[in-house]
Amino acid sequence: MKLYRLGTVPWHYSQLLYHALPRLKREGLILCSPASPYVCIGYFQDAEQEVDLAYCREHDIPVFRREVGGGAVYLDGDQLFWQLVIRKGNPLVPASREEFYRRFLQAPIAAYRAIGIPAQYKPINDIIANNRKISGTGVAEIGDFVVFVGNLIVDFNYEMMVRVLKVPDEKFRDKVYKTLQDNLSTIKRELGYSPPRDELWGLLAEKFSEILGPMEEETRIDPDWKAEADRLGEIMLSEEWLFLRRSPKIERGVTIRAGVEVRQKAYKAPGGLIRATMEVKEGVIADVSISGDFFFYPADRLAELERALVGVRVEEVEEVIARFYAEQGVESPGVTPADFAIALSG
Amino acid sequence: MQIAGFDFPDDLYYDSKHSWGRVEGNIVTQGLTDFGQKLAKEIVYVEIPPVGKAVTQGQTFMSIESGKWVGRIPAIVSGKIVAVNEELEWEPTLINKSPFDLGWLVKIEMSNPAELANLMRADSPEFKAFIEAEAEKYKAVLKGGK
Repeated sequence: MKLYRLGTVPWHYSQLLYHALPRLKREGLILCSPASPYVCIGYFQDAEQEVDLAYCREHDIPVFRREVGGGAVYLDGDQLFWQLVIRKGNPLVPASREEFYRRFLQAPIAAYRAIGIPAQYKPINDIIANNRKISGTGVAEIGDFVVFVGNLIVDFNYEMMVRVLKVPDEKFRDKVYKTLQDNLSTIKRELGYSPPRDELWGLLAEKFSEILGPMEEETRIDPDWKAEADRLGEIMLSEEWLFLRRSPKIERGVTIRAGVEVRQKAYKAPGGLIRATMEVKEGVIADVSISGDFFFYPADRLAELERALVGVRVEEVEEVIARFYAEQGVESPGVTPADFAIALSG
Repeated sequence: MQIAGFDFPDDLYYDSKHSWGRVEGNIVTQGLTDFGQKLAKEIVYVEIPPVGKAVTQGQTFMSIESGKWVGRIPAIVSGKIVAVNEELEWEPTLINKSPFDLGWLVKIEMSNPAELANLMRADSPEFKAFIEAEAEKYKAVLKGGK
């Protein structure tokens, strides 16, 4: 297997190169870092739901949807990426996801330990140090290959991370910021300083080769690889690709008789998924049940909200919910009356 | 039939990627086995393929995500997708909760029924040996539960 020690690369190559390598049917370990910041969302994520696109546009922060799973992240040059591209049939690859993570995360864990950070594996796919997460990881299966990506976090811009996320209000943003501060650490926070980059790259290379065996080192992107990355860039840097995954606003309706319908809908608001089942007679809600994984305070008011919606015309749902919120002092971080209206009336 | 403590209904066909197939006439319903879903752990997203899509036995045709891992599922037989389990867009954990029933993935209209010969049956010694070996290999993972 080859070790591609690329150092700093243009931001889009920090994503496109690992997507390109398996398409060329080549294994390799890529070590690189982006020259400029960007936002990267998971394969199944909806950019409009997850990211404050207006802010990103205004500040020239590109947004990229990767084939790897997981959530939206703010990436920049203070993060050192490792990207392992390995054949599924390689004897080093266990078939179980957990075993896979456990085996290959040993490399970054050992790198962290070598600089004095007490990193540990936390199932299924995390590295923690002093009870805080200290690496982001994810996997994509591409053709006959498994691609495993992750980072050593030298420093992290918590403010920018919460700024680029789409949140309903500043209160929610503060909460996300605090949660991130409490749960995500960095090399700089753990050690009080940043070791030289070359030392960190060297440690990653050394610890991975202890698992993967000796690797021939390359420092350049060869023409075939660059051509494939550029070809993929035509697709993956397009708006069409970015917005391919729309949030699940699924609607299923069963007409009971003319004018009477039972509708079921799911809508993913920033604060969580809303599911609604309702009976509609001649455009008026006759019965409704709302559930999902969002927060709603006080919780017992949700049943009252359902009752308040009975007898309401579908197109007046948002107005009625907004009034209910104001009168009852309801809070639902990340879920607005408008989100309910979409979930209920589409 | 129980193998290594996992249920494998006798009437189904199995591949080596932990999918099952239920054959009804020319239609094969595909799902993940109980063993397969336990290895994958909690499934958070399922990409439902479009009805009408042509699939080839052993070639991946849909994606699922669990533990930040976007995995691809190979088709159990070749043919055309004639139905998809839309319920999974609502509730992907149906695959975990009810792998052989409510968590089915797709129905494929077979283009070559002779391909069934490439699959395994629950009562075959070959399948028993395969599952026992897999269970031994992943015993630590399987014991961990969800």
